[in-house]
Amino acid sequence: MNICIRCGYCFEGCPIFKEKHWESDGARGKVILSHGLLKGDLEPSNYLAEKIYECTFCKDCVEKCSAHVNVPDILTAARADLVEAGFKYEEHEELLDKIEETGNIFGKELKAPARSGEVPVLLGCRLKERREDAERYLEILEKLGIKPLVVEDETCCGMPQGVLGYKDRLKKQMNEFRKRFPYKDFICMCTTCIFFINKAYPDLNPTYIIEEIYKRLPAHNPKKLGISVTYHDPCNVSRGMNMVREPREILDWIGVELVEMEKHGKETFCCGGGGGLLVTNNELAGKLAKNRLQQALDTGVDTICTLCPTCEFNLFNVSKSNGGKMKVINLLDLIWEALR
Amino acid sequence: MDIQKVLVEIVGEENVRDAFAELYVYGSDASVHQTDKASVVVKPQKIEDIQEIMRYANENRIPVVPRGAGTGTSGQTVPIDGGIVMDLKDMNQILEISPEDIICRVEPGVVNDELNRELKPYGFFFPPTPASGRVCTIGGMIANNASGIRSVKYGATRDSVLGMKVVLANGDLVDLGSKTRVDSAGFQLARLFVGSEGMLGVVVEATLRLAPLPKYRCLAIAKFNRLEDAGKTITNVMSSGASSSMLELMDNIAIKSVNRAFDLGLPDVEAILLFEADGKITAAIDYEMEEIKKICESNNGFGIEMSYDPERRKEIYKGRKNLFASLSRYKEGIVCADLADDMAVPNSKMAATARAIHDIAERNNVIMTAYGHCGSGVVHTKILLNPSSKGQWEDARNAVSEIYEFVDSVGGITSGEHGIGISKAPAWKRARKDLIPVMRSIKKALDPNNILNPHKMMDAPDNWVNATDLRYRIKKK
Repeated sequence: MNICIRCGYCFEGCPIFKEKHWESDGARGKVILSHGLLKGDLEPSNYLAEKIYECTFCKDCVEKCSAHVNVPDILTAARADLVEAGFKYEEHEELLDKIEETGNIFGKELKAPARSGEVPVLLGCRLKERREDAERYLEILEKLGIKPLVVEDETCCGMPQGVLGYKDRLKKQMNEFRKRFPYKDFICMCTTCIFFINKAYPDLNPTYIIEEIYKRLPAHNPKKLGISVTYHDPCNVSRGMNMVREPREILDWIGVELVEMEKHGKETFCCGGGGGLLVTNNELAGKLAKNRLQQALDTGVDTICTLCPTCEFNLFNVSKSNGGKMKVINLLDLIWEALR
Repeated sequence: MDIQKVLVEIVGEENVRDAFAELYVYGSDASVHQTDKASVVVKPQKIEDIQEIMRYANENRIPVVPRGAGTGTSGQTVPIDGGIVMDLKDMNQILEISPEDIICRVEPGVVNDELNRELKPYGFFFPPTPASGRVCTIGGMIANNASGIRSVKYGATRDSVLGMKVVLANGDLVDLGSKTRVDSAGFQLARLFVGSEGMLGVVVEATLRLAPLPKYRCLAIAKFNRLEDAGKTITNVMSSGASSSMLELMDNIAIKSVNRAFDLGLPDVEAILLFEADGKITAAIDYEMEEIKKICESNNGFGIEMSYDPERRKEIYKGRKNLFASLSRYKEGIVCADLADDMAVPNSKMAATARAIHDIAERNNVIMTAYGHCGSGVVHTKILLNPSSKGQWEDARNAVSEIYEFVDSVGGITSGEHGIGISKAPAWKRARKDLIPVMRSIKKALDPNNILNPHKMMDAPDNWVNATDLRYRIKKK
């Protein structure tokens, strides 16, 4: 944390700062708070916990920082300290209990659509819950010549435990994940899962589904859909995996006109869905999604497509509750349509 | 009634915070200082709020520290006496853009780059270009007389401020300066408030002079195997009368830092110079650039590349743009501390200054870099040290003291563009003893109860190391 020179350049794009406009709500403020906690200048408190947990881990601050201060990593550590000191959110505990009971964030008895192919594919909780969508996305892989192997009872990768600062529960969940999904090389459908797996499981070698599609799609002559959309770069894809060009080229290949929002690519603007904010402060997560949807509406198109199932979830719900003027879809749906 | 309750009555509950964690965040800026002494943070929404707050604070002798983005590097907004931190970021409206008068009127919380985005369609810009432009506020720029990379051509903030409205310590509102380019009607009071670091009044509105956006910009990079040659080039360029809109130096430490942070592949030479010319026609720009190029070559500059292409210019400039924070990546275990960071020296002393910085660093067991808007005489040093070592802070204190002795000896000044605050105050007070009584008289006349950002600049403690807590965790031994 000493590397942070506190220049404050991370204010510029911080979605929480933009919404709340107090320095303690921006990235630099949270680093200062975490530093104070580490130094012992600040005692753990509910107030402090609120600040430390109100972050979506969108990594705009990391992108803006010339010293590459990793604010999400700092906040993850601070969250772990808070949990250890007993400052826990009931909502977080409930979520993690659900995962322990059912293996997914919904607390439902869910089965992934089993496949007995050759290439292991990890769906992640959100797509496990959207079984029909998952089936379609598996069909994309099949059409592109990949025989998927899907484990029916795959379990959560541990991202929520990690992000919310529950070290012990994370360790347990990671063991469970490896037990049920014992593959080193696999395709991952979920943006959030793959970003987390890349960090937390250095011995695993997942490939993001869009990378496979990008490699194989041109050879399969996809249809031209002839529609116009705007594209929301999920932070884990653009900033986390440095994938800005690929989704855009795919849109071009399938004949979709892309009308960019002002903030796109690595300059993308947060949807509000990350970092556990949906659980910690759903109202704030909704406000951020509303801001992003307005940016999409400003382009003049009526459809926003994205890749991350969490972005999709939050944007969809907020759009729906605000009159549904903006349709929210997954880019994978457009690809499936183009391959039909 | 306690302060918090009074402020809530003035600005509403949503604009007042007094949790300890909050005061801790607002007890810091981009300097080495940290305090938790403030009682409350308030966000006024309009001029009348500020007047009311100042009246109350003045009657009750409560310190008030106005704050923009908190990007100051010398502790200007660190509330060392506690009291009220007045966060002005919510007063961020552009009140008027008048292309006919080539001016705009803004509230203090307007962010520099946002203002320029709004001005662009009119074909104008606000010339001061601080590195923090993406977040710093106009109020903060005025308070510190900020400048930046284009100051060599366009000057500092003081040269672009025509007038302002200021709330004084007693709550009175005064309208200073004018909307005109010339003004000889009485004392130049607007100028007095530029660089006053929030110690004389709260700037609540500013009338800014704009400049036409140049149609073309050409940027070049030149390499030097000797730092002195780069320094001599700067002196020669400035004395040649060549008109550059940017003349920036980066020494080897700066080059290595950005290369490590961004893998830029800048040449591993002792120094590089970036120079730019701008204007309406390329022929005039080409002429200036060729003149500067010749001077570079006559001082052993080589590998000179020039470009009008915006993308290429962005690439060339990327290292310089991201240099400040990158310095923390120079070497494992050391970080960049904002100390002795913006002295200015006469053009003729540039080469000697660049070398002196490195000699002083070596003598004092710290690393110092030399870079900056050298065309304007500004040399950014920064001290790279191990912040958890107590001994390193003593080394830093000695290095800072020595560097300012040198600056003084060559006729330079303590701060070219970042202000004095706390950490530069000891050196500045030593160098400008003659000014202290004059400045104290002015302060007393405008703020008799000494409530506005007290104990900064001429009234700051004599040892910056223990003036406040340092923000780092320092081992006892």
